[in-house]
Amino acid sequence: MIGKRKRDTAIVPRATTFDDEETPQTNTESSHDIFRKFFEAQFQPLDVPGAQITRRDDAEGESDEEASELSDTGSNWDGLSEGEDGPEVVQIVEHCDAKSLDLMDKKARKAFMTAKPPSSLVDRTPAKSPKRETESDKDENEIDADHLKNDLALQRLLKESHLLESASDLAPTGKNRLKALDLRMQELGSKESLYKQRMPSSHRRGIQAKAEMKENKRRKEARENGIILEKPTPKANANSSKRRERGVGGPSIGKFAGGTLNLSKHDVAAIQGSGRSSRGRGGSRGRGRGRGRGRGRR
Amino acid sequence: MASTSQPPLRFTSHKNFVYRLVFSTLTGRTIHISQIRPSSPTNPGLAPHEISFLRLLDAVTNGSQMEISYTGTIVVYKPGLITGSATGTGASGGVIRHELPVGCTRGVSYFLIPLCLLAPFSKSPIKVTFSGPGVITSATPTGDMSVDSVRTAILPLFNQFGIFNNIELRILKRSNPGPNGRGGGGEVQFVFGHQLRLPKTLHLMNPGRIKRVRGVAYSVGVSGSNNARMIETARGILNPLVPDTYVFSDVSSAPFVPAPEKTNPSGKKKIGLGFGLSLVAESSTGCLFSADVASPPSGGEAPEDIGKRCAYQLLETVSKGGCVAPAAVPVMLGLMTMGSEDVGRIQVGREVMAAESTIQLARDLAKFGAPGWGLRDASGENENGDVIISVVGRGIGNVGRKVA
Repeated sequence: MIGKRKRDTAIVPRATTFDDEETPQTNTESSHDIFRKFFEAQFQPLDVPGAQITRRDDAEGESDEEASELSDTGSNWDGLSEGEDGPEVVQIVEHCDAKSLDLMDKKARKAFMTAKPPSSLVDRTPAKSPKRETESDKDENEIDADHLKNDLALQRLLKESHLLESASDLAPTGKNRLKALDLRMQELGSKESLYKQRMPSSHRRGIQAKAEMKENKRRKEARENGIILEKPTPKANANSSKRRERGVGGPSIGKFAGGTLNLSKHDVAAIQGSGRSSRGRGGSRGRGRGRGRGRGRR
Repeated sequence: MASTSQPPLRFTSHKNFVYRLVFSTLTGRTIHISQIRPSSPTNPGLAPHEISFLRLLDAVTNGSQMEISYTGTIVVYKPGLITGSATGTGASGGVIRHELPVGCTRGVSYFLIPLCLLAPFSKSPIKVTFSGPGVITSATPTGDMSVDSVRTAILPLFNQFGIFNNIELRILKRSNPGPNGRGGGGEVQFVFGHQLRLPKTLHLMNPGRIKRVRGVAYSVGVSGSNNARMIETARGILNPLVPDTYVFSDVSSAPFVPAPEKTNPSGKKKIGLGFGLSLVAESSTGCLFSADVASPPSGGEAPEDIGKRCAYQLLETVSKGGCVAPAAVPVMLGLMTMGSEDVGRIQVGREVMAAESTIQLARDLAKFGAPGWGLRDASGENENGDVIISVVGRGIGNVGRKVA
């Protein structure tokens, strides 16, 4: 009983903030009603036995008795649905998914919640634009599309013309077509050429050797026949000329291995060379030569 | 300016203070305002927000002089050219930084709306950042609208005068009024980049019918569920009337402003907690009606009540009729007065016309030399007891642009 009282008082104060003048009986009733609504919103509608309701309705006058009755039922909470007037009262609990609404209106929100004053005209245009297209619009679009197509063709021709053997043939076929496609792919961002295959290095070396041999043979034959060929392209010695891509944070000079920085003689010379020039006396050979030249000019 | 030879126009009382200053600046007439709260025993003379507005005017103009009497009950204002945010005058990097004092009880809209009226006639674009411990972005108990309403209900009106480019009102930090309705901690950036010589002549005589309602619910430093509760109640009232009702929700944390004390010189405190709702109804002809309610600084009001009051306030504003909401009357009529020497017409509700502020505006404008308004009853299909005001423009327009 006492425990029950406590629970009751825990409910009542909230109701008193709203309506102080009302009798305590209605207070408990409304609070019960609120409690029941809350419970139903959280879980599921309570199915209250009809007999109990009618009995409650009859005994509505004596709240004290009811309280005792409630306490008698113990922890059985269905007593809280007492406020219901009759079976015909339908409780509608709306479950509105705020999240999905938000997602739907993200666009509208973006349009509205900017720094700019919202204009109704701006709102209307996106709804209208996909709907109708007048004749002139259509024509213009076609012309635009034509221009775009021609542009693309010209760009391609400029880029791939070296693949074409005869000027008459604008659309490459066969091997050339594949090469052109490869070029386009590379331009669009493919990492490697399609023709760069993975293979054992012995194969690759073999291919390179064969190509070299072929070229040499061609040149030899041409020379013998007195035909002047184009100059041989300088051999791209990739290893020496290009700086290898290094990892971030590595040393800018020397080699770091096994926890030690190893400087080659070359590195040491490079370091000392710069130091000596700052000292300036006696100088390296380069310096001396520079001076000499300067003197000569004077 | 030409005002040197003319005697100053004399006004009394603090009422309509800002618009008197604005029209003085626009027409170039010197004004003398006396009896500013002379009988107040505690705070006679100019209030902090009025001083702050004078400072703002000083920043956006060049060569204006103001003299304030010892008690602050008399102000003489001699306007200069509206230069805007040209570097060198009051601006650094093309932006004027305007700090509002701690004791400010008015919302930023108190400064923004008159500034909007000045801005089209400026020489260069106006960019002002309002900051400091007195910036209240929400609606206030003193009757100012929220910054959201300024953006959604006042700024679009300039479109009808051919002013639409590069107008921005960015709310960087929201704040409700602080304790006792004083101070806040918000930050608002205002850009008005469309200057012109003369605004277009306006003929607005068809209120149309309300086609949509938009709004912003904001809660600062309190739970976002307040927003949901305000929105639900407001929608419950408005949805049966206008199906196209949508209220956006904006939840932000409370501004954290320095509050030094003797014991703790680097102390900070949260200020400006609360929530509020701004609703804007748009009619089929582009007329805008707004409503604003925010939680009182003392608290104790449920979000449902705020939502309900705001919705009802919107309905009341719409029911007053006409093409102009009461809050937008000074802007619309001011721009029409500054327009070319042509007759512009605008339809307003009878109640709006009869409002004290409108009458005061008409009297002040007449004093500044504007020809009187012509009033007649609206006729035809959209009558509803409305009044049509005919306003003859003064053709002064933008003095700064006259040379160019």
